[in-house]
Amino acid sequence: MLETRNLTSGYGAITVLWDVNLTFREGALTAIVGPNGAGKTTLLRTLTGLLPYQGEILMGGQPLKGKTWDLAAQGLVMVPEGRLVFRDMTVEENLCLGAYPERCRADLATNIERMYAFFPRLKERRHQLAGSLSGGEAQMVAMGRGLMAKPRILLIDEPSLGLAPVIVNEVFDIIRKLKEEGTTIVLIEQNTRIALSVADDLHLMRSGKVILSEKAAGIDLDRLHDLYFAREGVKEEAAQ
Amino acid sequence: MTDLILQALFSGVLIGGVYALVALGLALAFGAMRIINLAHGELVLLAAYMAYLVESRTGLDPYWAIPLALVVVMAVSWALFVLVDKIKDHRELNSLILTFAIGIILTNAILLIFASDMRSTSSAFLQDAVSFGDLFAMRGEIIAFVLSVVLMGVLWWWLKSSWYGRAVRAVSSNRNAARLMGINPARIETVSFLVAGALASFAGVALYTMSVVQPATGHALTVKAFIITVLAGVGSIPGVFLGAVLLGVTEALTVTLASSALQELAGMVLFLLVLFLLPNGLFGARARRG
Repeated sequence: MLETRNLTSGYGAITVLWDVNLTFREGALTAIVGPNGAGKTTLLRTLTGLLPYQGEILMGGQPLKGKTWDLAAQGLVMVPEGRLVFRDMTVEENLCLGAYPERCRADLATNIERMYAFFPRLKERRHQLAGSLSGGEAQMVAMGRGLMAKPRILLIDEPSLGLAPVIVNEVFDIIRKLKEEGTTIVLIEQNTRIALSVADDLHLMRSGKVILSEKAAGIDLDRLHDLYFAREGVKEEAAQ
Repeated sequence: MTDLILQALFSGVLIGGVYALVALGLALAFGAMRIINLAHGELVLLAAYMAYLVESRTGLDPYWAIPLALVVVMAVSWALFVLVDKIKDHRELNSLILTFAIGIILTNAILLIFASDMRSTSSAFLQDAVSFGDLFAMRGEIIAFVLSVVLMGVLWWWLKSSWYGRAVRAVSSNRNAARLMGINPARIETVSFLVAGALASFAGVALYTMSVVQPATGHALTVKAFIITVLAGVGSIPGVFLGAVLLGVTEALTVTLASSALQELAGMVLFLLVLFLLPNGLFGARARRG
């Protein structure tokens, strides 16, 4: 579905990602985990056209072309962390804007109702300004808004960031539900335990490189943590 | 005395409608592009002189000048956008200098072409007095006020219910999030400058039919729009309307109770008072954008 080949990118003279090769399967949930500074956000910014890159990004076998807003129109949709909602617009207006690409506008009302069925809490707050919502609710607005864009691939950036544990569980229940509906999801996450619990495939990044790519089912959390924190004795294994 | 004050209040409300249109144009361009267009008053002035041109050359009512004003002013507004968009560094500051200079050029162009005389409509229809009990107004004032209120309604609807309007608000609210939603910010900035130009066209023609214009009016209008924006914030149309009416009333009361020479000063005093006493604007933090 989505694939990167020798993807190298960064900020001006500073290269952050080095030859990243990743494959995201259609209908699967792929988690990308890694500590701060691993390059997860840079990867996301590169995929969504915010940073220039070398190498290739292929969607459905075709090279990705265009600026960020063209990519959204083609179905590569990003759910930014909850702070990036339109704070001075209502919940419903936020959802509505998700459907901005022309191919999404036709059945607007039906789609908004579908989102309310998915996120009942948002229906109660539909006329409230998004800036007045709690962190968890804002995260739901960001996800609902992304879904309104009828994504072929949904990129979700750190949905657990800054949320209370009980809300994190709620958000991940929704991600699980999305996955069951067959949405192709790329999840960027620091919380390895919860990422592993929903993922089909998992990639671990450190210092701008992918150091582990496996089916989530076969991964042992302790081993993952060893790699994650680069504890002594496992560095060699990581290098291979 | 009470009669005079009531009459001043009434006239102030009527001119407030046009002031609100001017301020909303300024706010639109500011919201989308984060720049203050110091030539916005001159755009309004240009439209007013188009009305004068049509009336003096053809003898038609000045409202017939609206199509010409729309074409000319929207074209100038678009050119302004293109120039501002070329600024790559420190756009907030450099755009102030650029738009200020363009305002001066426009004022002087108008001075050169139309001379410095004060101009106002000669239409008997628009100058007829209409009475509401003890209160009087020119028919032109009433029409201009109604037109302004209708346009504010249209603008409100457009921002709320059209895709372009929603996108303008989205870009104003959070540019990066808007990009991720498939919105091309550069296109939305163009749209907001064109709409600001359209609002300026109507405001200019309306101003000509109800008041007196001269080349220096443009600069004064920019200042008024700026004062209103600081009073009301750029977030809400009703807020801008109330701020504009407050400014109109303050000016009208000053003219009635003191002297017309103090009219512009009154707005500035109001502005300073609000800044000192209510630094978040008339409507508190709510009207402020984050």
